[in-house]
Amino acid sequence: MTWTADAIVVLQAATVLLLSPLLAGIAGRAKAWTESRRGPSIVQPYRDLAKYLRKETLVPRGASRLFLAAPFVAFGAYLLISVVVPIITPYPIPVAPTVDFLGGGLLFGLAGIVTLVAALDAGSDYTALGASRSVSFAALAEPTLIMVFFAVAVITGTNNPYVTNNLLAASSNAYLSATHLLVTAAFFLLILAETGKLPVESAGLMELGMLEDARTFEHSGPLLGVFRWNGWMKQFLLYSVFVNVFLLPWGLDAAPTLAGAGLNIALLFGKLLLMVGVLAGLEATVAKVRLFKIRDFLALSFSLAVLSVFVFAVLGVP
Amino acid sequence: MTIDSGEVIALVGVGILLTALYLQSESFVAPLIRGVAFQSLLLGVLLGWLAWTDRSVDLAVVAGLVVVIRAAIIPYVLTRQIRAFRWKVRELHAAHRVTGHALGAVAVTVIAWIVFEETLAPLFPSAAGALPFVLLVQGLLMLATRQNTLVQVIGYLEEENAIVYAAALFARGFPLFVEVVVFLDVLGVTLVGIILSIQRDVTGTPESAHPEELTG
Repeated sequence: MTWTADAIVVLQAATVLLLSPLLAGIAGRAKAWTESRRGPSIVQPYRDLAKYLRKETLVPRGASRLFLAAPFVAFGAYLLISVVVPIITPYPIPVAPTVDFLGGGLLFGLAGIVTLVAALDAGSDYTALGASRSVSFAALAEPTLIMVFFAVAVITGTNNPYVTNNLLAASSNAYLSATHLLVTAAFFLLILAETGKLPVESAGLMELGMLEDARTFEHSGPLLGVFRWNGWMKQFLLYSVFVNVFLLPWGLDAAPTLAGAGLNIALLFGKLLLMVGVLAGLEATVAKVRLFKIRDFLALSFSLAVLSVFVFAVLGVP
Repeated sequence: MTIDSGEVIALVGVGILLTALYLQSESFVAPLIRGVAFQSLLLGVLLGWLAWTDRSVDLAVVAGLVVVIRAAIIPYVLTRQIRAFRWKVRELHAAHRVTGHALGAVAVTVIAWIVFEETLAPLFPSAAGALPFVLLVQGLLMLATRQNTLVQVIGYLEEENAIVYAAALFARGFPLFVEVVVFLDVLGVTLVGIILSIQRDVTGTPESAHPEELTG
C-alpha cells in the first residue's frame, strides 16, 4: 500500500465525516427556501454538534452500558462503510475489500439495530414507541435493501459496488436496462424512507409521526451529538451510493492521485447538491402519508426491487 | 440509430407488468379503470410496433382495435357506471390491505414465473413468454381477491390483455378473427358488468355484498 493510497483512504473517510453535516445544513436551507422561509445557516449542524459535545450526558436509571456504547458502535459502522463504497474514487481503495455490497448493507443494519436496542434499553415509553415503529417499517425496508443489492449483483455478476459503477458508466445498455431503472427507483424510494424525507416522515419531533428521532429521545449531550452525526453520515453515504453507483455513475477521475480524488470530491458534492435540490422540490410537492400507510410505500419499494430481479431473470440485460 | 425489436418488447413488457402490480394495489375503481386502459394502450403500442416491423396490415388493424376498444370505449363505458359517485367507489376491503395485495402480487409473479419455467417454457420460442403468463395469473388473482363487480371486470380485462399479448408475441401470423373473438369476449364481459351495475343502483350502495359478487 503506497502513501498516496493511504492518504486517499483517510481523505475519503474525512470527506464523509466532515462534509456530511454540511450537506445536512444545505438540505435544511434548501427545504426552508421551498417553504418561503429564510432557514438556518448551512453550518448550523456544526454548531449543533459543538453544542451537544459541550453538554452534560444524562443516563436513565437502569440503562446498561449498551446505552452508552450504541452511538459509538453505529458511528464505527458508518465510518467503515465510508471507506468501502465508491465515494471519491471509481477504483477500490485498499480497505474496500473489507466488505462487499451486501456487507455494507449489513453494516447499515448493525448501526440500526444497536440504535434500536439502545432505545429499548433506555426504558422510556417514547423510545420504545420509536423502536417499535422503526422495527415494523424496517421489516420491509431491510429486505428491500437486500433485494437492491441482489439486483445490482445480478446485473454485474459481482457484488462489488466499484464494478457496478464502472459497468454502468461504460455501458448505456446496462444503464438503460429495465432491471437497472427499476432498482434505481426502488433504491430512491428506500432512501426517502431511510433518511426521513417526505412523504414518509416529516423531520423533527412531531410526536404523531416521528420515527428516527423517537429512538434517541433519552440520549443527551455528546451521545445525542454522535447520534445526530450518525444520521448525517447515513444520509451522506446513501446519497453518495445512489448518485455514484446508480443514478450518475459518470465522471469520476480514475487517476489514483490525490489531485484526482480532490476533483472527485468536488464532482461528488455537485451531484449531491443536485440530489438535495431534487429532494427539496419533492418534499415541497408531496404530502406526508399517514403512519400506517408507510408500509404501503415500502411495499412499493420492495415490489420494484423484486421486480427488477425478476425482469433480469426473464429478459436479462440487453 | 436502429431500434432493437427485443428492447421494445422488453420495455413494453415491463410497463405492462408494472401496470398489473399497480392494479393489484389500488382500491379505488376510477384509477383502476384508467390503469387497465393504460395497460391496453401499451399493448396497442406493442402491436403497432410489431405491425410496423412485420409490415402487417392485419396487426395494424388489431393494434387500432385494441387502442379504440380496450383503451377508450370499454374504459369509457365502465367509467359511466360510476359517474354519479366516482370519488367514493372503492373496495374498502382492498383499501385496508394494500401492503398485502402488493406483496401478494409480487409473490404470485415469482411463483407464476417458476411454474412457467417448469411447464410451459419449452413451448415458447423466447423467455419473454413468461410475461403474458404472469399477466394472466395477475388477472386471475384480481378476480379471486376482489369482490367489487367492476374490479372483477377489470381483472377479466387484464386476462384478455394477457391472451392478446401472448398472441402478439408468438402467434401474430394467425388470422385476424382470433383477436376479434377475444374482443367480443371482452364486450360480453362488459355487458355483464353493466347489468350488475344496474342491479347495484337498484339494490343499494357500491359496497353492498351479494349483487356485487360474481360467483359460480
